Amino acid sequence: MLLFRSEAHVDRWLAGREPGATIPITKLAELAAAWWHDRLSPDWQPRSREQSQAILDRLGLTGDFWRLG
Amino acid sequence: MEQADIDLRKATYRRFVELGRAPTWAEVAATTGVGEDDVRAGWRRLHEAHALVLDDAGEIRMANPFAARPTDFRVEAGERSWYANCAWDAFGIGAALHVDSRFETHCPDCHDRIEINIHDGQPDDGSPVFHVLVPAVRWWSDIGFT
Repeated sequence: MLLFRSEAHVDRWLAGREPGATIPITKLAELAAAWWHDRLSPDWQPRSREQSQAILDRLGLTGDFWRLG
Repeated sequence: MEQADIDLRKATYRRFVELGRAPTWAEVAATTGVGEDDVRAGWRRLHEAHALVLDDAGEIRMANPFAARPTDFRVEAGERSWYANCAWDAFGIGAALHVDSRFETHCPDCHDRIEINIHDGQPDDGSPVFHVLVPAVRWWSDIGFT
């Protein structure tokens, strides 16, 4: 889960390996806010896999790669 | 997850933020009044539930988004500095603390330094991209690698 200068840098770093998923940093910011905003809340409750999947789905992170199980 | 373990997890995270580093089980025991052995056993259950990540010695390795050990994601947030486990977590520390933040890392390809300032949840540089190598279904198979 790394940050690269651009997609060209990802491609060069992969050096022919099977790529994973690449998303813009702005989408990562949205994902982090949705994923972590309640992490220190006094009302924190564990999230189910379905709830986590719903966060990914809501952000358009869909398809087999983003399926949690 | 039992309420006692949820409470232990909250106390552990609270101590992590207060100390600016991962607490030991003795420090959490002293704060909560829970016995050290019970803290260790509770942490183990939280580890199994993916609510914490322990190292081989049973101490905290990750309390996501916070990392207990130095990484290539150095985050400044809330007038403190932290290490994050990955780029996702680097954004997550500011999100969890509800403050603006900044972090530094390096492009794994060219090794250039990347510095990101985050204000109201938005990065000041929209050009870098985030790459996830491992499919979501395998994230917890080796969370350190992920």
